[in-house]
Amino acid sequence: MIENLRQIAQQTAWTRRDFLRSAAGAIGYAATSHVSPLHAAVRQQGRKTVVVTFGGGARDVETFAPSGQENIPHLIQELIPQATFCTQVVNHGILGHYVATASLATGVYETFDNFALVAPNHPTVFEYYRKGLGRPPNDVWVIAPSNGFNRIGQSSGANFARGYGAPVILPKHLLNAALGEHPNRGAFNFLLQDSYEDPMSTPVLGHTDVPLSRLTDVLHLSVEDFTRHAQTLSSADELSVYVMRQLMRQFAPSLLWITLHDMDVAHAGAYSLYIEGIQRTDRLCGEIWRMIQNDPEYHGRTTMFILPDFGRDSDMDASGNGFQHHRTGDALSRTTWMMALGPHIRQNTTVNRPLDSVDLVPTLGALMGFQTPGAKGRTIVEVI
Amino acid sequence: MRPQDLRAKSFAKYPPQARAFAVANLAVLRQVPLSLLPILLREMIDYDWRFPVEQRVLTRQFQYLASLPQPSFANLMAPFAAVRLPAAIGKMDWVNQPQRFSEQLSGLLWSMQQMDAYRAAALTYQKTLEQVLVEPVPAISRLSIVVIGQGVPHSDRVLFRKLRPHGTIFTKVQPEDGMATLIGVVNDRAREHPAPYAHWYIDGGEPEPGCGLPQGVTLTSYHALAPAALKELNLTSRFVQQSSARSGVGPEAVQSFMAGLGPSDLGLHGDPSQTALRHFEVNVLTEGAGAQVFSTTFVQWTAREALRRAQPLTLFARFAPRQRMAPMEELLKRDPLTQKTDPEGSLIDADMGAYYTWINQQRLSGADRSCFLAWYEGHDIAVAIGPGLAKGTVSDSPANLRKIVAWMS
Ligand SMILES: [Zn+2]
Repeated sequence: MIENLRQIAQQTAWTRRDFLRSAAGAIGYAATSHVSPLHAAVRQQGRKTVVVTFGGGARDVETFAPSGQENIPHLIQELIPQATFCTQVVNHGILGHYVATASLATGVYETFDNFALVAPNHPTVFEYYRKGLGRPPNDVWVIAPSNGFNRIGQSSGANFARGYGAPVILPKHLLNAALGEHPNRGAFNFLLQDSYEDPMSTPVLGHTDVPLSRLTDVLHLSVEDFTRHAQTLSSADELSVYVMRQLMRQFAPSLLWITLHDMDVAHAGAYSLYIEGIQRTDRLCGEIWRMIQNDPEYHGRTTMFILPDFGRDSDMDASGNGFQHHRTGDALSRTTWMMALGPHIRQNTTVNRPLDSVDLVPTLGALMGFQTPGAKGRTIVEVI
Repeated sequence: MRPQDLRAKSFAKYPPQARAFAVANLAVLRQVPLSLLPILLREMIDYDWRFPVEQRVLTRQFQYLASLPQPSFANLMAPFAAVRLPAAIGKMDWVNQPQRFSEQLSGLLWSMQQMDAYRAAALTYQKTLEQVLVEPVPAISRLSIVVIGQGVPHSDRVLFRKLRPHGTIFTKVQPEDGMATLIGVVNDRAREHPAPYAHWYIDGGEPEPGCGLPQGVTLTSYHALAPAALKELNLTSRFVQQSSARSGVGPEAVQSFMAGLGPSDLGLHGDPSQTALRHFEVNVLTEGAGAQVFSTTFVQWTAREALRRAQPLTLFARFAPRQRMAPMEELLKRDPLTQKTDPEGSLIDADMGAYYTWINQQRLSGADRSCFLAWYEGHDIAVAIGPGLAKGTVSDSPANLRKIVAWMS
């Protein structure tokens, strides 16, 4: 019976190189690389970087595999032609969203309990950046999806001087505070959804102590404007992108990290909702790139990275239940992709050698010109 | 407590058959490393309400372990013996709470970066057992039938995309009396090959009459279980609130609480001969994420668990529209049967569910002879997979469902 399933797996198999070829074929671009003429012009100084995690948990088969490409038209048609695409990024760490995203941000596989409200043990890229380049707090921001992520901005401090962390903004908490005793609170519940993985033991956001001053002082939004706009949105990730836009206008941070999470609704087992989540994330990635292009502070000097935190379980692993969870630790749930785009990034190029999720931090360091001594990964030379 | 300290009285709290089984296999249990032992006890502790196939598999597994010469036994256990566990975990009551132990174990393995090694050990162990304890090929070919798309009068979607390469697409199915025909097929098989829990009917809504216990078919449905699901969610959220008031509560504590729930806690009663089914239903509701709130998840997960655990000859699964998506907070509180439904989304869920059901059937013995049919309810399209049908082909000839079933084997 094992043999039988192995055959099935092979029948539906495609190499990672193949799917890229088919993705490139779909848009009719030749797979040649060229260096953008802007490459030399943009110096490290003044560079900005935006990191988007295409989370939480996306499989190839619903994204860049031939059968999945229909779900990501913006990535395929708009972004890939301008990007260097790494076809094989392997996450060797714990496949929980917070701990994995924290590992992406420290460049070390963190080993803390995914559900604990703790800071990463190792220094974050935000700290390296601020200390290394002497940047003020508002030059780096993190937009995070849920409660558990609120300590991702700064490491526990054992390995790094304190005080260089990134401010972390949890849009749901802001909205929650803004709503206060809003007569129609229930209408906003879609945007306040905190966790799909563990809905029973995650308390619904109550009236929290997030000061409303954050809204007015930081985002320069009135409570009324914020709630009015929130009403037009349909998901937590849309709210995050809205907050991102405000942060860009307000502070134009040079290092901006946004973690998207809608697709993790897959834990409820409804495939259609998971696919909708991916489609929305794809659309939001396109939107973020347009925000960058249309903002004079960002245009022409910003590199954007998009990468999933990890995949989800394979259909063929008997200990899992396919797309629903990420529990088996099988190869498919560990292997994802990454794309980089920006003025100095080679366009329409693929990198097929295996990379590691922790390679991101040293790459950001090399790109922006700061040291990342504690990070374990290696610089991805193809994108610097 | 260490495995070698186990005594007959260690199992005093086990149900009668489970206790007898454990005592009879004490010599083996004492030699199993702690990283594997509670996983085996988890299956054993529920012995009294396991399905006959599961009881047989467990018995054979222990017969095999007992028959191994010492060096071979040690060899088989070596990868598990190599797993480093913190001393504190030995203090847990892993005899009586093996479920809880394995959850903690999983967290530990992740955090100690031993998950990959453990996974490899588990796969090797499983493969060895599969090679030695080959499950007998069933007397008749297995048959799974999945019906999807209820409540969707028209769809432009290309259905059964993942199943197509493995079988024949029929584009001119005569849909008249389709459900009655399929129920007839299921009932015929149950009559001709009667056995406990060998023929299943799982419905995502209200089940069709005439296919159930009197026909020798194991029946479960979302319609019947939704009140139990709601009860479970209420009990769990009360537990969470009470624990949060004291000290806060983590996902493992919640899972342990849910694992401790039994049929009577959820108001599941019924024919005493169906005790194993009632416990199975509790497991579906307490272990299957989303199965409580979405009928489509319920059908997919129940079909998977029925195939994995009961290894049935016949499985008939019919999807129904699930309630519309809402924030989790609302989903976990409201009655799923009285909400607006999402038929189009449910069709997509069910299409994937059909594929997963086929994969799960292919994991069972006799897979090369197994047959599979998925049909868009009330419509003219179906996909059929079986030794009698070509792969990756399309048949435009008119055919009724009874004929297609006959062609498959
Ligand atoms: Zn998840």
